[in-house]
Amino acid sequence: MHILHHLAAAVPLALAASTDAPEAASWVDPLLQQLVTGLSNGMIIALIAIGYTMVYGIIELINFAHGDLCTLGAFLALTIAGALGVEAWGGLGGASGVVILLLASAVFCAGLNWTIDYVVYRPLRNAPKLTLLVSAIGCSFILVNVALFWGGLPMGVFGGGVAAAAPKDFPGLVSDDNLLPAAWHVTFTASDLLVVSVTLPLMVALTVLVRYTKLGKAMRAVAQNPTAASLMGIDVDRVIGSTFLIGGALGGFASVIYALYNNTISFQMGYRTGMDAFTAAVLGGIGSMPGAVVGGLVIGLVRALSDGYLEARWTNSVVFGILILTLVFRPSGLLGAKLRDKV
Amino acid sequence: MLLLAAAVVLGIIDGPLKLGLVDPMRGVLIFALLGLGLNIVTGFTGLLHLGMAAFMAIGAYAFAISTCDIYPFQLGFWPALGVTAVAGALAGFLLGAPTLGLRGDYLAIVTLGFGEIAQDVLKNLDAITKGTQGINPLPPPSLPLFGEFGSSPAPWYWLFLAITVLAVFACRNLERSRTGRAWLAVREDELAASCMGIAPIPVKMYAFATGAALAAIAGGMWASLYASTGEPGNYDFQISILALCIVIVGGMGSINGVLVGALAMIGVANIALPKLASWLQQKGVVNASNVLGSPNNWKYLVFGLVLVVMMRVRPDGLLPARLERRKAGGSA
Amino acid sequence: MSVAPLLEVDRVTMRFGGLVANEDVSFAVQPGQVFAVIGPNGAGKTTMFNAITGVYQPSSGEVRFQGKVVRKSFAARLLLRVGGTAIAAAISCMLAVNAVALWKAVIVANYVYGEPFLWGKAIGCIGPALSQVGALWTWGSASVGALLGGGGAFVLWLRTRRTPDVVAAAGIARTFQNIRLFGELSVLENVLVGMHGRLRTSYFTNLLRLPAYWREHADSDARAMELLRFVGLDARAHDAARNLPYGLQRRLEIARALASRPRLLLLDEPAAGMNPTETVALMELIRRIRDTGVTVLLIEHHMRVVMGVSDRICVLNFGKRIAEGTPEQIRNDPACIEAYLGKEELG
Repeated sequence: MHILHHLAAAVPLALAASTDAPEAASWVDPLLQQLVTGLSNGMIIALIAIGYTMVYGIIELINFAHGDLCTLGAFLALTIAGALGVEAWGGLGGASGVVILLLASAVFCAGLNWTIDYVVYRPLRNAPKLTLLVSAIGCSFILVNVALFWGGLPMGVFGGGVAAAAPKDFPGLVSDDNLLPAAWHVTFTASDLLVVSVTLPLMVALTVLVRYTKLGKAMRAVAQNPTAASLMGIDVDRVIGSTFLIGGALGGFASVIYALYNNTISFQMGYRTGMDAFTAAVLGGIGSMPGAVVGGLVIGLVRALSDGYLEARWTNSVVFGILILTLVFRPSGLLGAKLRDKV
Repeated sequence: MLLLAAAVVLGIIDGPLKLGLVDPMRGVLIFALLGLGLNIVTGFTGLLHLGMAAFMAIGAYAFAISTCDIYPFQLGFWPALGVTAVAGALAGFLLGAPTLGLRGDYLAIVTLGFGEIAQDVLKNLDAITKGTQGINPLPPPSLPLFGEFGSSPAPWYWLFLAITVLAVFACRNLERSRTGRAWLAVREDELAASCMGIAPIPVKMYAFATGAALAAIAGGMWASLYASTGEPGNYDFQISILALCIVIVGGMGSINGVLVGALAMIGVANIALPKLASWLQQKGVVNASNVLGSPNNWKYLVFGLVLVVMMRVRPDGLLPARLERRKAGGSA
Repeated sequence: MSVAPLLEVDRVTMRFGGLVANEDVSFAVQPGQVFAVIGPNGAGKTTMFNAITGVYQPSSGEVRFQGKVVRKSFAARLLLRVGGTAIAAAISCMLAVNAVALWKAVIVANYVYGEPFLWGKAIGCIGPALSQVGALWTWGSASVGALLGGGGAFVLWLRTRRTPDVVAAAGIARTFQNIRLFGELSVLENVLVGMHGRLRTSYFTNLLRLPAYWREHADSDARAMELLRFVGLDARAHDAARNLPYGLQRRLEIARALASRPRLLLLDEPAAGMNPTETVALMELIRRIRDTGVTVLLIEHHMRVVMGVSDRICVLNFGKRIAEGTPEQIRNDPACIEAYLGKEELG
């Protein structure tokens, strides 16, 4: 059905529903559910968005490869889960399994991100911005193919490596039981709890790092003026490397949570989540970390609401539409400063 | 000129010598057109465009709607191609408009977004586009010299070669004229160009429209060749990046470079990769079910490596534009 | 003064956030003059140039050229453009939003495979289809389209009212302090780009190589070579601009600026980085330019050039005008001396 007709149909339906007192809950519940789902997904998007915004803030590069980096993190997690047979651990074992996956993926992604910077981006520090962007796209593609090949590993978790391109099921290490009383009509599962309990502390830790540590100050200095920063004795390349490290680690955490939350991964998931995350970063204000978080939550909500009230097949276009509108009408984003182009 | 002669010779000798090259060369020519389109936007005018696939898709569907007998229009090949070009140009104007104020990387992302939205729109408006089915079957072209095209690749080859020659001609004419100089000036230094009396907005719009028209024609050729648009998912980001690879490998802003680039990229993708895959299979390294065995599974890697390596080693491409312009005498 | 000034800078102030680059600057340039603007670094000279050429818009005050502020005027053309865009956008939006419904009603409903399509009947179905869709969707989408299209066209017009290309079209040309040539283009092509506003061939004329193209091509090439001869660069017409040595690059910039047959030429530090021989040649070139009838407005630090070639000088410091007059007057003006050399310390 026509999108706008669909939307228009939903409104009177909602209004009609709200006038009946006993049925008042009937449109609130789905809405609340969408909000919960949206916020959970939003936090995952926010974690990935922080990776984009940190790198952009410091070297003005859209790190195209970031989303695909997260894909590899998820694939690593799946490999380890399969190799260790984590699914069979159960109970407390399951929880420690999750921790192992989180840490392994974070370390892996951090290292990989740092390596990509060292090998591909560092030699191009003084090259035109578009050269850098094209290289990032190239990296993204290489990583996608690695994920594709990875999916062909002859392991049980990868379905024996037969259909490499097909999405893989991720072991359900976190239960899907509703933690809330049934009377509340809203489902909040252990997965949702996992998302919140991992992302919130990470964001707090990151804020502390950026505001109060020496490295954080150095990062902010390099972001504002690399030349001056290096004249002040800051090793700019090391700071940039650290930024990639941290952004990568966050992406690693995000990838495992994503996998546990959605119970499926595919070699192309990086493209979709990457685009969502990048839109979130731009919406919030590229270069601004609180902006990335706000943007992530908003995009998560938008996706959930679009899936629920519009049609799922238009959701991607809606997100891209937001990206385009933001870039055209308010490029500095919601929380970013209005930058004036100096001639 | 040299390339043209070689192409003509190839067309003549391929049949008798059973080289089997004319078949994949048709694909080269289609993507040469796509590359020429991107070359105008990115090579000449300096606007990084990551959404060429969208215009190829629009072209394919415009062509299909014009020729398929499920709709009443049922035009001949050339009128349909004309409609396709116009549709592409219009789309180029419309989609180019919002990008006018944007800087390099933001522009790239917006064009990427258009690519995605176009795919979704084409898939979802299935009353018009038949959704994931695509529009088919399309009648084969029927031309004076060749009659109706059958299964032999030769007539297609000559047709596509003719279209490519016309496109190259058009691009050269534009390049060596006031229009092309304005494009190049905007690329080199938009502010200085503005101070010389060049209004950047119309210049960019024309670049977008021209690039889109060429991409649309490529799409029309594709649809005609496969007698179907295929599903909208075919016109994905990979196609846009393939076009980018072609322009970067060949040389940004260099028309001959684009032709060489198309040859190189499609040659690798459609000729070298399958041969690599079958060789690997023969050697028993992999078997058919292994992920490494299918040539399609190497495409991302090849495109990615091409981009990364070229940016490091030879960002100007194999046939850099300035060498080409110098050879041509430099005067426009 | 019996002759009206060519350029009037009238109490122009340039403010960037908290920084005031020019404050209440006024001067007038008579036609046929060589007028120099001098001052220590950071005095706001290039900012003033940028304000004159439309790169910046004055925060307050006016720049008048030939008596009028140079900008696009409210004319019938604007109304046509805004109106036309609004209508086109309204129709497109309406068609796009209701595309599926219209397609189904007009094409799908009337087309039977194998039978001829009745266009008249089909077109007649548009009306009923639209009324079925409802006034909200048809008129709503049309209004949104009209608003976006018309509004967008108007906003665009407003934003580009006084952009550099508008100023250039009025007859003001310039060079840049840091040379801004089109590096990958040849010397000749750079000059041809400078001529862009005076050439007329359109996109399609160029694409199809219509006769008008060939006429203009020969003509413009000849004029461009003439300009290169005027500055002494004709031997290097086909070299890439970025391969020229520094001094020749400066001359090319001047040739490029002259290509548009300006009435006023702004030169931003043309003598920067030149040795004494080149400086003398430059002064000679400026005089020859003036002799062709072009008025010259000059920013320069090189005092010999300024004193040797200017008819009138305006001195800026800290964004304000501190003196104006003939070279003689400026040479002896105490405020100027202080600006450059500092105040004499007494005891």
